[in-house]
Amino acid sequence: MRRPAGARGASVLRVAPVRRVLALQLGLPGLLLAALGGWAFGVSQTQRQAIGPYGLLANADAWLLVGLALLLAGMLAELSRPQPRTWLLGAYLVGLIVAIHTTVPLLYGGTPEYAWVYKHVGVAQEFGQYQRVTDTSNIYQEWPALFTTVAAISSLGHAGPLSFAAWGPVAFELADALLLLGIFRLLTGDRRLPFLAVLLYEGLIAWVGQDYLSPQAFGYLLWLGIMAIVVRWLIVPVPAHARWGLVNRARAFLLAQRPAPPAASTAMRWVALALVAVLYFAIVAAHQLSPYIVLPGVLGLVLLGVVWRGWLVLGLLVVIALGYLVPRYGLISSQFGGIFSGGDVFENASGSQGILHRAAEARTGDVVHVLAALMWLGMVAAIALRWRSLGRVAIPGALALSPFLVLGVQSYGGEAIYRVFLFSAPWCALLIAELIAELRGALRPLVSAVACTVALVAGLQGLWGPTAVYAFTPAELTASLWLYNHAAPGSVLVLAADNFPGLEAADYAAYDTEVIPADPQLGQDWLDEADVLGVEQWISSLGHGGAYVVFSQSMANYTDYFGYPFGYAQLAKAVSANPAWHVVYRNPDVVIYRVTVG
Amino acid sequence: MSGRSLTLRQPWTRTGLTAWTGIAASVAAVALLVAPGRGPELTGAFLLTCVPVGAAVMCWVDSGEGVVQAGLTLVLSLAATAIVTASMIWLTVWQPRALYAFAAVGVVSCAARLVRGGRPCCALPQ
Repeated sequence: MRRPAGARGASVLRVAPVRRVLALQLGLPGLLLAALGGWAFGVSQTQRQAIGPYGLLANADAWLLVGLALLLAGMLAELSRPQPRTWLLGAYLVGLIVAIHTTVPLLYGGTPEYAWVYKHVGVAQEFGQYQRVTDTSNIYQEWPALFTTVAAISSLGHAGPLSFAAWGPVAFELADALLLLGIFRLLTGDRRLPFLAVLLYEGLIAWVGQDYLSPQAFGYLLWLGIMAIVVRWLIVPVPAHARWGLVNRARAFLLAQRPAPPAASTAMRWVALALVAVLYFAIVAAHQLSPYIVLPGVLGLVLLGVVWRGWLVLGLLVVIALGYLVPRYGLISSQFGGIFSGGDVFENASGSQGILHRAAEARTGDVVHVLAALMWLGMVAAIALRWRSLGRVAIPGALALSPFLVLGVQSYGGEAIYRVFLFSAPWCALLIAELIAELRGALRPLVSAVACTVALVAGLQGLWGPTAVYAFTPAELTASLWLYNHAAPGSVLVLAADNFPGLEAADYAAYDTEVIPADPQLGQDWLDEADVLGVEQWISSLGHGGAYVVFSQSMANYTDYFGYPFGYAQLAKAVSANPAWHVVYRNPDVVIYRVTVG
Repeated sequence: MSGRSLTLRQPWTRTGLTAWTGIAASVAAVALLVAPGRGPELTGAFLLTCVPVGAAVMCWVDSGEGVVQAGLTLVLSLAATAIVTASMIWLTVWQPRALYAFAAVGVVSCAARLVRGGRPCCALPQ
């Protein structure tokens, strides 16, 4: 039977939307697979030897960058759809986090990044071997919760922490993202917005490097758990009535048009309070600073009057924190001069002292400083633009600003500003995402794309800029383990530059590990390493009659990157021809000498 | 239909799913830990420290959001592991194998939740 012409036309018209729908339904999942394939191929083609002082982003194989760009583009495209699929957004987010945080471990054969991670591994190994606190003056042993957790996993799994430490960042970031998605959903009641906020967050915080296997990464994850419980069960719909009228008027202004929080029974609020106490105690037992950066956030919400029995919650946390600190305060006082390092906010916020920025390091530093400034400017703009309905931003705003209180009391060895950034970042990301979500028409996807791209590129430059310095090759780890297996306990281990995997053995405390005092970043730079005689005299002054002295590729990269220590290359060249310096171990990336002096 | 049979037949509530996950993870963790090979043992160790205790709590508590439910299951498990293992060090009774008890706690609590059924703990009256 012949079909009428009109019917044929209708059929053609129906086919086009079907194709478009199919393209959208299948295109973005397909793009995800293509992006992951491109990234994986790019990783396999990237040569770690080619990574220069500007880092991985500047020296990666093009496919790696294409893969990352497709992951970002695919997620943004899905976010711009009228009905975004949460499973696909979740898959893109997981793919992006995996790509960001597994690239370096994959390139470096699963060797943990950052020299200071190895110290954490050593403490965990120590607990596993000696099964008790062996040194009450060791601050890591006095705050043991993460290390004992790692030691227990290692013992049960019959695998040393070195076998899984490299994957700490991806594990912590995935767990953080899970909780943040949940918290943002509770705060916004939206399905799309939390993904945009977490995507922004992952770019913003990529450079901070606080997600490696460490007590602070563990404490941060547990803090997000506390925030999830507070937001879900402890926020009340009506602010507490204060005795002073001024406070009530201020709260009414700050909480105007606040969305209704999730409902909860009184019994459930008590259960929630108990769970908060358990999580907080775990944080307190794991890390020295994290408990005190949690408190301002809770204080901010209590002052707003939105926390159920707020002063009780805050008091409970303070009691737990002080109850743990007081018996150990002597240790803090003797090693760090107490928990208050002075009230000079600008001094406390000035970052690491003594680091002299040069060339590539300075450029990467500039990039992340601009990123941090943009994040806080975005947060301020998001709050200012809602000055008539501050209740809509009151909770994330209070949580974004409260970490700054820490700068009033503590510099944390120059790290306080980075902790402030990290604890402020989730709420800034949410506020910026909400601002973007309110844009109309084509402006919204455009601004989303620009903001996420800027955050991701700058964050990745901060994260991957110093890769050649902070990542270690398997050969370097092998050399370090050789040292602990062959040097007699009590030996002096001298590092020609402070950048080598060390202290990862259970009996690390049996060795005297020293760095040649030629690096102003360590606060001691009176020696020029080019002066071989001076170096030998310094080794002699250590009083052991000799030492193992280590030179490595990562030390050379460190010297190129920072410009210190003075005379490293001259020393490495001079001792190679010096008969008093005997090579006891050599592999492609490391030379270890045994030198006898005096 | 009683609340009990409702929960057992319809595990796709958040607390029901948490309970089934807790039981599955506890059983899988122990099975992997006793299986030969470092890979399965390490996987079992992570599973044991990341799921059972949190599931034992969260199968009774409905957060209203699936991702919050999963996230709190994880962090409560890790916090419990941290506190218990730190206590072992402080008390000089280092016995990591005692963490097998987490699996027992997970199975008992989650099974009790599934058998008891009904509404989650401390829920608002409907």
